[in-house]
Amino acid sequence: MHIPDGFLTTPLWLSLDVVSVPVVGWCGRRAQAGTDESKAPLLGLMGAFVFAAQMINFPVAPGTSSHLLGAALLAFTVGPAAAVVVMTAVLSLQALVFQDGGLLALGANVFNMAVCGVLAGYLPYRYWGAGRLRRAAVFLGGALSVFVAATLAITELLLSGIRIPGAALGASLLVFAVSALIEGTITVAVLEALERINPSWVETRPGQARPAMGLLALASVVLVTVGVLFASAAPDGLEKLAVRAGINERARALMETPLAGYEVAFFSGSWAAKAGAGLVGLALAGALGWALARVIGRRRRV
Amino acid sequence: MHHVVLDEWSRRTSPVHRAEPRGKLLGALAFLVCVATAPRIEVPQFGGYLLLVLAGISLAKLPVVPVIARAAVVLPFSGVFAVMSAVAGDTDRAMAVVVKSYVSALAVLLLVATTPLPRLLRAAERLGAPRMVIVVVQFLYRYLFVISEQAQHMRQAARCRGELARRRSAGWRARFRAAAGALAVLFGRSYERAAAIHQAMLARGFDGRIRSLAPPAGSATGWWLPAAAALVAVAIRLAHRMEFPWPL
Repeated sequence: MHIPDGFLTTPLWLSLDVVSVPVVGWCGRRAQAGTDESKAPLLGLMGAFVFAAQMINFPVAPGTSSHLLGAALLAFTVGPAAAVVVMTAVLSLQALVFQDGGLLALGANVFNMAVCGVLAGYLPYRYWGAGRLRRAAVFLGGALSVFVAATLAITELLLSGIRIPGAALGASLLVFAVSALIEGTITVAVLEALERINPSWVETRPGQARPAMGLLALASVVLVTVGVLFASAAPDGLEKLAVRAGINERARALMETPLAGYEVAFFSGSWAAKAGAGLVGLALAGALGWALARVIGRRRRV
Repeated sequence: MHHVVLDEWSRRTSPVHRAEPRGKLLGALAFLVCVATAPRIEVPQFGGYLLLVLAGISLAKLPVVPVIARAAVVLPFSGVFAVMSAVAGDTDRAMAVVVKSYVSALAVLLLVATTPLPRLLRAAERLGAPRMVIVVVQFLYRYLFVISEQAQHMRQAARCRGELARRRSAGWRARFRAAAGALAVLFGRSYERAAAIHQAMLARGFDGRIRSLAPPAGSATGWWLPAAAALVAVAIRLAHRMEFPWPL
């Protein structure tokens, strides 16, 4: 599910953009850590592979077929940090060239599919990938990568105040569950075929990944569970919830206080003042994310 | 493949094509922010946004109808949620998601149809996007067609070997495993191609950065057009009636 622009409420897309840039920057450095050789060619070709994989159809039921989505498979082969980078590259290209997903919503889509999807898919593999339960871990990883990403997307839409009737919500969760099972099955089949061709393509000792990755993965799964409960408890979205909690009033106060002096100086009408303050606040938040990405990204060259 | 047309559009010449890529990227983002934060759909304002993008499209000498049709790929997604919102009684929201997503898609399309992707990525890198991601996107775009063509060849080869006839006779399990095997082979070929490409690039002095032959022109004139467009968008945005800077 690629969310286009115009769907998410401003605090949501803005905060997910601000979160995603440094996380992806950090994953880029982690993917490159430990080797002198540039990993960029391999990761680029893996992205092209994910695109091309859409052409190979897997039979699902008579008359229907599905294809690999790939987040979990990438995590098991090139590692979770590199998989985050590959999926981010795939989503960026889809947003730019294929109009699949918005540009402002890119942070949200990256967060759902590239960060949480990949890490949630990697979670079972990290703990059970080496032992007896390997096959189950691979299956569960493939399934989780799809289910977590899709559920996060629908949660964000609900939080943005998009009304989804209960029946439709149930139906879409069911569809997500079925696609998750299909992705799990495809991931197991492809990974086993890969191991038969060349075992060195597959990460065999997953327990050695950094504990930070495991924690992040766990956090993303917990986030989804909490998110679904939260969204189903508050079906009217952030708006009603904010009103109920008085956040709206507080947000106004917060928005206007640091810019109070400017309001008097530059704007006379109250609506212009609010709009101006809002846009300046938006620019400040964007600048903060940019600066954060710069500081984190500067320490090492690709 | 249908995005080849985008490559052709982005290599034409016009004032919009000649504008500074960083300026166009920032201008497009400013436009998208104005549209995304608009509190409600008001006809004059959204007419203004639409006219602004259409002016850009005609100034760029792009074929108007194909561009308008191409941006419509967002409509199925928006339509589903618009219908759901409308059924739930929130027609304002239904209207907003369709209009906002379409106008935004049109603006992004104008950006990528007037800037060749390598130059756009370079602009994003200079504006502070994570470089690792930028380099990976460059490789991905360069080899997307190669790998896709390989997948097509493999599919055609499978058909030559009687895949379609076997569909009826072979069991589900066998077909599933055949597809998995094909995908594993495609993975292996991509993996090995990456190693060969990397070695060839190292031999030519690759150090992890992709350099472009045409150095970005440093003229200030290229900034005027996107800056003016962004200012118009902000002006339209300020003309919205307001209760809070954006709807929560």
